[in-house]
Formats: sequence, structure tokens, C-alpha cells
Amino acid sequence: MLLTLDLNDPRPLHEQVAAAIRRAIGAGDVAPGDRLPPARDLARALGVNANTVLRSLRDLRDEGLLEFRRGRGVSVLRRPDGREVLRARARELLDEAAEYGVSADEVVALIKDISEEMA
Amino acid sequence: MTGPQHDAVTGFRTRFLLASAAWAVLVAAVLVAVPLAFADRLPDPLATHWGASGRPDGSMTFGAFVLFPVVLWAVVAGLCAGVAARARTLARRAPRAWACAGLAWAGGFMVLIQAFTIAANLDRGHWTRAAGMTWQVAMVVVAPMALGALGRLAGRRGPDVSPAPPRTGPLIDLDPRKRQVWVSTASASWATWLVLVALAAGASIAGLTLTGRSSIGWGAVVPFAVTAVVGVMLSSVSVRVVPEALTVSAGPLRWPSRRVRLDRVERAWAEERYPGQVGGWGYRGLPGHATIMIRGGECLVVRYTSGGELAITVDDAAAGAALINALVARRRPFVGR
Repeated sequence: MLLTLDLNDPRPLHEQVAAAIRRAIGAGDVAPGDRLPPARDLARALGVNANTVLRSLRDLRDEGLLEFRRGRGVSVLRRPDGREVLRARARELLDEAAEYGVSADEVVALIKDISEEMA
Repeated sequence: MTGPQHDAVTGFRTRFLLASAAWAVLVAAVLVAVPLAFADRLPDPLATHWGASGRPDGSMTFGAFVLFPVVLWAVVAGLCAGVAARARTLARRAPRAWACAGLAWAGGFMVLIQAFTIAANLDRGHWTRAAGMTWQVAMVVVAPMALGALGRLAGRRGPDVSPAPPRTGPLIDLDPRKRQVWVSTASASWATWLVLVALAAGASIAGLTLTGRSSIGWGAVVPFAVTAVVGVMLSSVSVRVVPEALTVSAGPLRWPSRRVRLDRVERAWAEERYPGQVGGWGYRGLPGHATIMIRGGECLVVRYTSGGELAITVDDAAAGAALINALVARRRPFVGR
């Protein structure tokens, strides 16, 4: 499973890890029914504490994306729906906009412009 | 696979199956004819099992003695030929040669074990007076190895369709502000079962020995303990790729673990490999050209800049290879992509 952490992301680490796993599920890296690698392996690869990964996994379970099964580890229950994926993407877009000094309102205006052009 | 090549393999398959069937029938004929030829000089029942002391301690009626090896042989020969005739084994030289070696060895083993049994029972009147078995035990295992070697040579003849050329997956776009990692595992449930069975067997022998109800002794516990440890190591493998290195860890304890710095890596790709090709399960081959075989199938292969290779059977290998290639390309931006 490919995971991407943003090194400049100001959000708490467990939210970033959850976002990375959500993205991987959304991208189809792991399909519903597939097992996730053990939290310990994920933590080592990401260079974070295993408890941080466990917290993210619990958050994703509460969202209904993951399922914890005794003795069988953590598996994917369903893919995040379009709204959830878009929300994460929009967040990344706003972060990038902030780097260029573009405000959220300006991004909204930009999107409106583009959608009118496309219509 | 192209048309003519496919036809060649199909024609070869027919010849292969005919040759295997001929060998199977030959061995079966010997297994039936030899005891019948000596029938009037053998006791009924005759000794068919020998204890650790080398004295006979079990018998079988003459009818069962003739029938049992033939049925066993039919099953073994069917399995060996069946494995070898599977398309992906048949077209490749190494696994086919090993299946043929197994078939040849098994035939020799059956004939030899029957010959020694008949020799021990010949003209003895009653099975309890049958001759002892000592050096013969080693013979029935070792002597057929010559046949196995012949079988392996015979199996080497024929086509060797090399597996699909390494696929180089699409390069992943790396964002320097992001840390991209890849984690994957592979596990083998058979190894877990092996561990459980070995532990149960070892524990019961140890228990019986402790309570003094068995004379088998501690010596018998050792192989089961070793089997359990090896099984644990083989039950799973975990691979992770981080921007600095590739790490392979074995077993649920993630130890032993091997770390390869990515500046030693030239490129990576995904490939299918099977235990028959690499000579079994576990760490196969020599450092510099090794395969860590947990289960047959998808495999991540890494080529070192020194020319060596390391392959690890792991799920989702194509994604891992793509990330390694992207990370390696980033390190050496001017070396040909």
C-alpha cells in the first residue's frame, strides 16, 4: 500500500496518517475485503509512533471505512464516497493556495469561473 | 504466448504425459509382478513394518501387500505428473525437471522398499521370523536418488518459456514536500499450520517424557522445536520502502530484518515466482542472487547496482517497484530513465 504524508501539513499527525490511508483506499490501492498491513509496519514506514497509527485506524473505523476483526487484523470495509475524497482534495488545494498567498475565497471564485467556462 | 510456441508446448505436453504414463505403468507392473513371482516362497501374512531395533513388528496379508504399493504409487505418480503437467510448470525447465526427479525417485523408492521387504520375508515361514532391516532403510532413501537425477535430466529436455519480461510500472510522480512510503506483507497460512502441528507434537512428546510415560525422549522434541521456529519465520514477510531504504523483515516478530539502502539499488520490478523455480520455500539462493519465498506468485525483484538481485514474494509488488524506481530516479536524475 502506497502512503503519502505531507511534510508541511499543520494538522495533528494522526489526522494526517488517517488522510493518507483514506487516500490509499480511495485510490484503490487496497480494495474492500483486503487486509491492511499491521499497524506496527505502517508506523515504522511512516516514521511515527504505533499508537498514532492505531488512533488513525480507530478514526477510520468510526468513519465506517475499516473493520477490526479479532485475530484477522484490520480490513477495508468500503471505499470512501466521492464527497469524502473531494473534501480531502479540496483541503489539499486550499493548503497549496495558501502557499501561493491565495485566499480560500479566491479559490472559490476560481472554481466558479472554471465551472462557468466548462458549462 | 505466440501461436507456434503455444502449439509446441501443447505437443510437448502430450509427449510428456505419454512418457510419464509409461514410467508409471512400468513401475506398477514391477510392483505387481515381483511379489506374484515370489508368492509361493513368502509367508502370508508377511512382515511389512520394522521397529527401531530393526526387528519386524507389523504385518500385512499378501493381498494387501500387493495392492497397497500399487494404489499408493498411482496416487503419487498422479500427483507428480499432475503438478508437472500444469501449464505454468510444464513450460518452464526448472520446476518441470524437479517434478520429473520426484516422479523417478518415488518409483525407485517404491520398487526398492518392496524388494527389501520380499527379500527379508523370503523362505521364512512366518512373518515374525523375517530378517531385520538396518542398512536397507538408508538404501531405500538414497539409492533412488540416482534415478531422481536421471529423471531430472530427462525433465530438463524440452521447452523453457521464460517468464514475461520485467514490467516497468509507470513512474510515480514524487512531490519533494511529501514523504511517500510503501508497506506490504505476504503470509502463508500453511506455515502457521505447520507451526501449530509441530508445537502440538513437540509439547505432547515433552509432556509424555516429563511424566515418564514415554521412552521417546527429548531427542524427538528437538526436530519439532526446530520446525516450529522455521515455520514462524516463514509464516509472513513484511516489506517497506521509505525514501532512504528498502527493509525486509521475516516472521511475526519482524526479525531477522534486512535493510538495503536505495543508493545500492539500480531498479525494481514485479515478477511471478514459484517455489519450484527457486528450489523451495524460505531464503533460497546465495546472497546477491536470493529469493525470499513465502508463497508462490507475485514477487518484488530488486536489482543492485553491483549486479546482484534480491526477490521477495509480497503482495502489491508492482506499486512497491514503481515507488522504488521513482525514488532511485530522483536520487540520480541524470541517469537514463
